[in-house]
Amino acid sequence: MSFLEIKDLHVEAEGREILKGVNLSVDAGRTAIIFGPNGSGKSTLLGAIAGLPGFRVTRGDILFKGKSILDMDIDERARFGIGMAFQYPPAVKGVRLGVLLKHVNSDGNWVQTSAEMLNMTSYVDRDLNVGFSGGERKRSEILQLMVQMPDLALLDEPESGVDIENISLIAQGLRVMLEKDKPISRRQRSAIVITHTGLILDYIKADIAYVIMDGHVLGCGAPGEIFDEIRQHGYKKCTMCFAEKYRDMNTQDLEK
Amino acid sequence: MDIAPERLVSMGYDSCAASCGRFMVLDRDILEFSCGISGLHVMPLKTAFEVYPHVRENLLFGLIPKDKNDFTKMASRVDPVGYYVRVEKGVKIADPMQAAFLFGGAHQDQLIHNIIELEEGASLDIVNGCANTHAGTSGRHIGITETYLGKGSSLGYTMIHNWGPDMEVYPVGAVQVGEGARYLSNYVSTSPVKRIETYPKATVGPHASARYYSIIYARQSSYFDTGAFVALEGEGSSGEIISRVVSEGGTVISRQTISGETKGCIGHMECSGLLLAENGVIHSIPELRGKHPDIDLSHEASIGRISDEEVSYLMTRGLGKEEARSLIIRGFLDVKIAGLPDRVKVIVDEVIEQAMSGKI
Ligand SMILES: Nc1ncnc2c1ncn2[C@@H]1O[C@H](COP(=O)(O)OP(=O)(O)O)[C@@H](O)[C@H]1O
Ligand SMILES: [Mg+2]
Repeated sequence: MSFLEIKDLHVEAEGREILKGVNLSVDAGRTAIIFGPNGSGKSTLLGAIAGLPGFRVTRGDILFKGKSILDMDIDERARFGIGMAFQYPPAVKGVRLGVLLKHVNSDGNWVQTSAEMLNMTSYVDRDLNVGFSGGERKRSEILQLMVQMPDLALLDEPESGVDIENISLIAQGLRVMLEKDKPISRRQRSAIVITHTGLILDYIKADIAYVIMDGHVLGCGAPGEIFDEIRQHGYKKCTMCFAEKYRDMNTQDLEK
Repeated sequence: MDIAPERLVSMGYDSCAASCGRFMVLDRDILEFSCGISGLHVMPLKTAFEVYPHVRENLLFGLIPKDKNDFTKMASRVDPVGYYVRVEKGVKIADPMQAAFLFGGAHQDQLIHNIIELEEGASLDIVNGCANTHAGTSGRHIGITETYLGKGSSLGYTMIHNWGPDMEVYPVGAVQVGEGARYLSNYVSTSPVKRIETYPKATVGPHASARYYSIIYARQSSYFDTGAFVALEGEGSSGEIISRVVSEGGTVISRQTISGETKGCIGHMECSGLLLAENGVIHSIPELRGKHPDIDLSHEASIGRISDEEVSYLMTRGLGKEEARSLIIRGFLDVKIAGLPDRVKVIVDEVIEQAMSGKI
């Protein structure tokens, strides 16, 4: 049994089926990457795992730590170890970032250390995401996750719209969070990272990559290789080869 | 006196906090008044009539006509209970003055009349707290306040209402803001009062400013008809009216008027409302009047509910739904007021914190 196990997941948003039978699993201590063109359902998948309203699971199951989480509310899932860095986090007027961080984790030292690491100390007195640039919002998301320290981090395009300097700050935070400096066998925390550009791969090594298109998982494999193929041939052309090459592997995965 | 210290703190009257002067009224009796700084005078208005004849001759009902309404008529017929506060020319006072008006139910009506006078270049902050000694008492509080601000002076006037559910409250206020002077009014009401009606007016002289901030948290079956009127009469004067209204079932009518009457006037108003329950009503009436082509007046108004997206967002961090909602409501009420001294801000924050804790 994997740490996270998604089985035949069908998800609807506003009456339209977005995910059409997704199978995917992530082991403890591992980082999975999800590639896929815009609109393929990547954010929907993370939203369904986090339990965000608007995403209705119509079939299938999500098991985390061996338990179905479908009946849990968002905050229950969070306390059960699921954390999410949003692609487009909302701004919350009047709620200071620092105040939220205190609610998330009472360990003031850790909050301070995390804020320093992400160069966010001067932002804690500001209203959450209000007037933050794209890159600042991403840093704020990673800071919140670092303070939360989830067992499973859902990272929705953590590097998009972020300049190189800030990507390395974000990556540093992620490395700490995902225990990347420990030997593989001793890592406990897992992540699913959505990336459109693949840039984050230069900083964070992933263990497995999935390709999602039009609500289906086309296949999975070694992150570097898959990314190279996408870069060379584009998603469209890859559809065919993935479909053939990884179909077997995918079913084998499931059987395991 | 049998009032719990917490109740005093919840209306901003903290006997331990540093203050330059104090004034406390229970029903119609002045319980204490003091003044600890030279250049500041704090005394019962009746005493002031004897010491400073101009107070009775020129200031009493100088800004508010005696026959303005039934309340002013009532007040004009009785001996006034209230304070006279004066700051002498050029004296700037850092610690706020604290005043408390308590309603104990000894009489059906409590009539208060206050007069504030700041001489040229003086500055002062006053924190007024108003409350029932016990939530159960019922009656009416009528508070008349006339404020005279001399050239270049500056007054921060904070009013914290913590009335009980059977109180009707009718404050009548008028301020004359002299040339280059600054007036900042900061009003907070979070308790389940029956009815509050008030529509204070500021007349703003050349290059002077008047700003009204109000935070109203309307409980079930509370009724508010409140607002402010800013008359920008002097050249280059400015006015601002900002209100944040939350209704968890009460009715709030929020009237705001800025009238730009001469050259170079600038006015802005903002009314944001948050409805938490289906039976709550927020009726926002922003009004701008321009009487000269060279003015700049604007307003923003919005009424809405708590954003589900924001609640979900906070919940993904592990906050429960109610915790997330109250954090957002608290944030909505957190008006950032430029020029409000930290000491006063701490008092106001504490009052709101107390009012919100466990009640939402
Ligand atoms: N809340 C929603 N309501 C309706 N349609 C949605 C909603 N969220 C996503 N979609 C639609 O689902 C599809 C997949 O979106 P998304 O999961 O955001 O894609 P990706 O993250 O891969 O770019 C898109 O066609 C998008 O318009
Ligand atoms: Mg997306």
